[in-house]
Amino acid sequence: MHPEIALLNDFLLVGALLFGVGLIGFVSRRNMIVMFLSAEIMLQGVSLSLAAWGRFHNDFGGQTLVLLIIAVAACEAAVALALVLTLFHRRGSLDIAAWHFLREANQPPFRDAPLPEEPAQRREPWPRLPTAGVRPETFGEENDYRPRV
Amino acid sequence: MFDVQTLLILIPALPLAAALVTAALGTRLLRDRSHAPVVAALTLSFVASVLLVFQLQERIEERAAQPGSSRSAGVEEVVARWSWINVPDAMPHPVDGRIETPGWGNFSIEVSLRADPLTAVMLAMVTCISALVAIYSIGYMRGDPGYWRFFAYVGLFVFSMTMLVSASNFLLLYVFWELVGLCSYLLIGFWYERPAAAAAGKKAFLVNRIGDVGFALGIFLIWTTFGTLDFSGVFQSVGQYAGDWRVTAICLLLFLGACGKSAQFPLHVWLPDAMEGPTPVSALIHAATMVAAGVYMVARCTPLFAFAPDAQYVVAVIGGVTALLGAIIAITQTDLKRILAYSTISHLGYMFVALGTCTLLSITAGMFHLITHAFFKALLFLGAGSVMYAAGGVIDIRRLGGLRRRLPVTYTTFLAGCLSIAGVVPLAGFWSKDAILLSLHDRSGLAGGGLFEILYLTTLLGVVLIDFYMFRPFFLVFHGAERIPPEAGDHLHESPGSMTAPLVVLAFGSVVVGAYFEWTHGFAHFLSFTPSFECLAQSGHTAIGTADKWRIAATGSVLTAVGIAAAAMLYLGSGKAVALLARAMNVFGLYSLSYGKFFFDPIYNAFVVWPLLSVARLAAWFDLSAIDSLVDRCGRIPKQAGAALRPAQNGLVQFYALAMVFGVLVLLGIMLM
Repeated sequence: MHPEIALLNDFLLVGALLFGVGLIGFVSRRNMIVMFLSAEIMLQGVSLSLAAWGRFHNDFGGQTLVLLIIAVAACEAAVALALVLTLFHRRGSLDIAAWHFLREANQPPFRDAPLPEEPAQRREPWPRLPTAGVRPETFGEENDYRPRV
Repeated sequence: MFDVQTLLILIPALPLAAALVTAALGTRLLRDRSHAPVVAALTLSFVASVLLVFQLQERIEERAAQPGSSRSAGVEEVVARWSWINVPDAMPHPVDGRIETPGWGNFSIEVSLRADPLTAVMLAMVTCISALVAIYSIGYMRGDPGYWRFFAYVGLFVFSMTMLVSASNFLLLYVFWELVGLCSYLLIGFWYERPAAAAAGKKAFLVNRIGDVGFALGIFLIWTTFGTLDFSGVFQSVGQYAGDWRVTAICLLLFLGACGKSAQFPLHVWLPDAMEGPTPVSALIHAATMVAAGVYMVARCTPLFAFAPDAQYVVAVIGGVTALLGAIIAITQTDLKRILAYSTISHLGYMFVALGTCTLLSITAGMFHLITHAFFKALLFLGAGSVMYAAGGVIDIRRLGGLRRRLPVTYTTFLAGCLSIAGVVPLAGFWSKDAILLSLHDRSGLAGGGLFEILYLTTLLGVVLIDFYMFRPFFLVFHGAERIPPEAGDHLHESPGSMTAPLVVLAFGSVVVGAYFEWTHGFAHFLSFTPSFECLAQSGHTAIGTADKWRIAATGSVLTAVGIAAAAMLYLGSGKAVALLARAMNVFGLYSLSYGKFFFDPIYNAFVVWPLLSVARLAAWFDLSAIDSLVDRCGRIPKQAGAALRPAQNGLVQFYALAMVFGVLVLLGIMLM
């Protein structure tokens, strides 16, 4: 494979990954700030692939566009955060589901399905060393902050 | 001085302007002075009409003074204002090689007014009566919430009527014919909150439509036959069509229109109901002027009728039947205004008898009767209105009596009207009635005169009936024991001056107008210069001897005296004789027939109204159940589609984002494929 194409492929892959991570984050999280961050990540994924294409075609158009996107994203961040702040003041919560009453009239309300009860703490069988042998060295008090390894 | 052209335009323009001013300013500015513009305009119109008559008279005298000119040339002046429709060569030339009508096939309708003696006489009559009625209405309609509306309608009516009589082609005639019908409808239903008045207005309008269909078909046939709708063009060339079935058909169709407007036999049912309107309206429109439009139209189309003898018979017979029918019904009615309405129907019948006779003598007699009838019938109606005004709206003659001391002016003028309509020498009614009788007798001497001999005898019988049915309410209301209905309260008194003054003027007219016209021979001489009547000059007529004239006048007078004497005997004495006579008449069912108005209304209800209503109900049901429901279902489609999609709008941002992602995926898939 031509090294240029290989380079492009790598960049596009990373860009797609960033976009996918952002998308999944946007769809699956309910915290408005996190959703906003996810959207930014998607934007960065797109910017990256644009820059890669610009490099590939030896054309500064892509990179110019990226600079523009960054500028727009900055403005957008200011507006979006102000919006989030206002929404937070209104409802006292960052949960986007708190705004579900903006739905069509006569539609059933959104209900937070309770999370399934976590099964009672089952004693995870630690791998046990045979009694014979040397006890593995632990790292002192650090053990207290590590519930499981 | 004003010339003919200016006068012709002024006469209709003044009432129209007054109507517009009243309609525009009536509610705010004029209020209870709304009568001022209309009364002023009508009075000026009347003055203009009189001037017009004098101008035409001058021309006739000039014409008569010229030794060389032909006697029958006629005097007319046509003022073309502008061209309404102009389609050249709208119809191909006739194939049968007839000599063409001037202007054949050019569908050009000029808005043009004509002045000839017939029109001038009608204009003078219409404006005179309407000015008097408008003055009367100042008192009669005072305090009515629709005061300005009333005068606006009256102005519009007079405009339409004056245009109708001065129109110079059939289409224009038809337009104003319909416009007077509209005014009649508006004024019958003037008190539209009363269901009876609203129904009467509708009835008048619908019955008139039947006649108007005939009129419209007649105009179509005139167009296809003569290739023009202009009066002069049609009348000039009608001679070539003598004996053609089309002329007879045209005449019959036009006469159907006249039947509707002038309330003749099969279509007379609307006129008695029209009495639901205010009394001045009854006097102006439904007695004196509008109902005479049919008579005017037939008189105007004399050249057509002159070449259609069969149509003449139909007109004369229908007129005779109506005259008798109206008179017989009027005998037993108890509502003073309805009696007058049936009397109007009967008198219009006389006019049609005269027109159907179709000699110069009879047509001038018919028009003469139209003028005198306008005077005394307007007088009688306004007198009845005055009684009604005094008696608190009661008009049932059984509940009124002995009012002659309370209402001296109304009594005197009503008496003058009754004597005039009865035809007592030398009042107006006598001369016009005598002229009709004379012309009928004259015609019966000509070929095919047997029918007219019968009509002559019928008319004589009608004379007795007229006297009887007019003096019956007169004696009941004004003589005998005093009966005052409770509605009148205890202040039954004479009407105000604005109402009695027109009564006095009309009474004066009813007394002298006939004698004046007869002795000066002015009327017949004046009318004979109408161009439409030229064709009659050729039709010969037997010379009537002086002995005949005296005999007819004497016969008429004796019968008049008999009728009045009978009414006086029956109604000035005790009521026993009346009851006895009614029972005797009822042996043959005559009384019930007359009291039930020959059962025209139930018969029409059963055979015309009910089937039509059933069809209408069926159509309404079909519309509601089939067509409407289909439309409703179509309307429900978007609603249901919306309902189906509505759950998508569930207020969860994540759901929207996911939907977007799937949308993009679908688009991507399509693009890649």
